[in-house]
Amino acid sequence: MAAPVAIHRALPPEEAARGDFYALLARLFHDAPDAALLATIAAADPIPAEGDAALAKAWQDLVHASSAVDVDAAHEEYEGLFIGMGKSPVSLYAGFYSGAPSIDHPRVRIQKDLAALGLARPDSVTEPEDHYAGLFDVMRVLVAGGAGRSPAALAEQRRFYDAHLLPGATRFFAAVGRAPGANYYRHVAAVGAAFTTLETESFTLD
Amino acid sequence: MKTVIKTTNRRKFLLAAGLGGAGVAAAVVVKSGQPAAPAAPAGAEQPTGYRASEHILKYYKTTEV
Repeated sequence: MAAPVAIHRALPPEEAARGDFYALLARLFHDAPDAALLATIAAADPIPAEGDAALAKAWQDLVHASSAVDVDAAHEEYEGLFIGMGKSPVSLYAGFYSGAPSIDHPRVRIQKDLAALGLARPDSVTEPEDHYAGLFDVMRVLVAGGAGRSPAALAEQRRFYDAHLLPGATRFFAAVGRAPGANYYRHVAAVGAAFTTLETESFTLD
Repeated sequence: MKTVIKTTNRRKFLLAAGLGGAGVAAAVVVKSGQPAAPAAPAGAEQPTGYRASEHILKYYKTTEV
């Protein structure tokens, strides 16, 4: 009997773009951009003007900011916003924004959902599961698949999004955007806010 | 037929918003040579699920309402 053959179909362009936006948000909230990433964003194509106005403007602003900021400034800004001494000015953890009485509660639910999806943190990672970089990366995997894994069904994507991103993402991006030390990351937050607004609406369309 | 119509609507919505038109984010991620999240806190495709030590699991249970 012949061995089963895995067939990987190319993602439709809009699904690939969703996965890439999640990947970019995961990367930028995991760590400050390096020189290569800044240069590439600075050279990126605009979103067509006839597209979503908020996303197109936020993207163009991020493109311009990426050409203006240098690596050291972006690194200092990331450290100042999200790491800091003592309590950081802006929390990177979903539990902080979701209204839970203890930030550990969402983590328990995320752990269970990740296990059900067959996902887990890499052994090398010590950050809690409700770190937004991790949540965006989970969505990337669900949307785009990877490493032999197919994209998840839309219903699965929506369940994870509704449970773990929808409750706090808007407040998270708002907190980043209004933080006194946010300069480059103000634009990252605007892209994230515009993109997740689209995601929220698109999920209602099935 | 109903499912096809719904899917088409969602697809139209995303395409009309500009996703997929210019490969904006794709260009960024691919050209930069960076994996999406080199050591992101979650999302690694490991089939065995989350691995936490026993004392951490107990701690989570004590904080769950």
